[in-house]
Amino acid sequence: MQRYLDTGIKDVIAEFPEVGTILQDYDVACVSCYVGTCALKDVVSIHSLPLETEQELMVRLAAVLTSEQERGLPQPTPAASRSQTPTASGKDAPSKESRYSPPLRALVNEHVLIKRWVEVIPSVLAGTDVNTTEDRQLLLDGVDFIHSYADRFHHAKEEDILFKYFDETQAIIRAMLADHEAARDHVRQVIEAVDRRDADQVIEHLSAYGELLSGHIKREDEILYPWMDRELTTTQVGELFSKFAAVDRAVGPDFTPNYTRFVERVEALVTP
Amino acid sequence: MSEFGCGCPGSATMDLRDVDTSTDEATTTKAPSQLRQWPIQLHLISPQAPYFQGADVLLAADCTAFALGAFHNDYLKGRSLAIACPKLDQGLDVYVQKLTALVEDARINTLTVVMMQVPCCRGLLALASEAVAESSRKIPVKAVVVGLQGEILSEEWV
Repeated sequence: MQRYLDTGIKDVIAEFPEVGTILQDYDVACVSCYVGTCALKDVVSIHSLPLETEQELMVRLAAVLTSEQERGLPQPTPAASRSQTPTASGKDAPSKESRYSPPLRALVNEHVLIKRWVEVIPSVLAGTDVNTTEDRQLLLDGVDFIHSYADRFHHAKEEDILFKYFDETQAIIRAMLADHEAARDHVRQVIEAVDRRDADQVIEHLSAYGELLSGHIKREDEILYPWMDRELTTTQVGELFSKFAAVDRAVGPDFTPNYTRFVERVEALVTP
Repeated sequence: MSEFGCGCPGSATMDLRDVDTSTDEATTTKAPSQLRQWPIQLHLISPQAPYFQGADVLLAADCTAFALGAFHNDYLKGRSLAIACPKLDQGLDVYVQKLTALVEDARINTLTVVMMQVPCCRGLLALASEAVAESSRKIPVKAVVVGLQGEILSEEWV
């Protein structure tokens, strides 16, 4: 069992597909993760499940991963690291229901607009003809939203500021960075496909971008950010808030309203 | 633990003498003070004081330091302090001005409001929220609620 706890989750699921099914029962979505290099033990601990739930999960995993002779209950995360009681030294121990710290709440709010764009991508693709100037422009406006708002504004806050407060070699952060790079690659392919007027490639890569971002945002909202909030000190939260505010000031007061209007315009276009 | 009287929860008499307080830590260690400034009362403090500049500030209701056994190590350590009682103190409008000056002029990093669970203590968070709302500059505010026996009932960002 210990061997598998230290193994990357994708490898574990590849060998034991039932593990993926069990994790999904607890809203642990490693099956759809783009990278999947997190060790199984980290996957379990980082979700900060209630003690009884984690014990139940570990028993089910042990039933799959160990022989009858080996079978025993692996030790769950120490209670101190999961306590619902806030800890000392400015660190919180929020549950899934807890509020995000203000800077991470700002990132979650930015996700809302990105998700609105992602949700209309299938409808946009269904009604778009790459051979018309108007539709190509709509696609390129969508790419501009991804480039400017989702990537240079939002992802840059994560990569240039937030992630610097953590060990960026950790699997969960490497997984998020890999998602960002994969998203950028899909966007590059969309731009080239629009230029070639290659409808199939536009559909393939913009759809893939949408699917990738949906899972990515869910992982950040439900796993990464709550974990980060547990790790950040009060002082660091204040620093992040200040640095994010500086980014907001740098892009100007019209930046977010302009891109909100773009998303609203597309939503209106695709709404029957 | 027994309770006497009725009416305002903030004034209700409670006898906590039968609560077990004997722990190894309490009996064997002397906790050093984490206070790094003077004065501390909100009417007396100066937002221009060097220890407030860019600081993580703790705004504590008067009673919390007595109720919370680990007040110094868990909350005061590393923070600059202001104390007040939202129920009994006069000049609450001055408090709002002082807190606004801390946000605007001292450019404090964060504000942690520690208050008792009694309803009147919520007024301290209201003062802090009003001050931040009136400031052009925004900062993260955290609210900590302490139970009558010193337990942390909640701790969350506002």
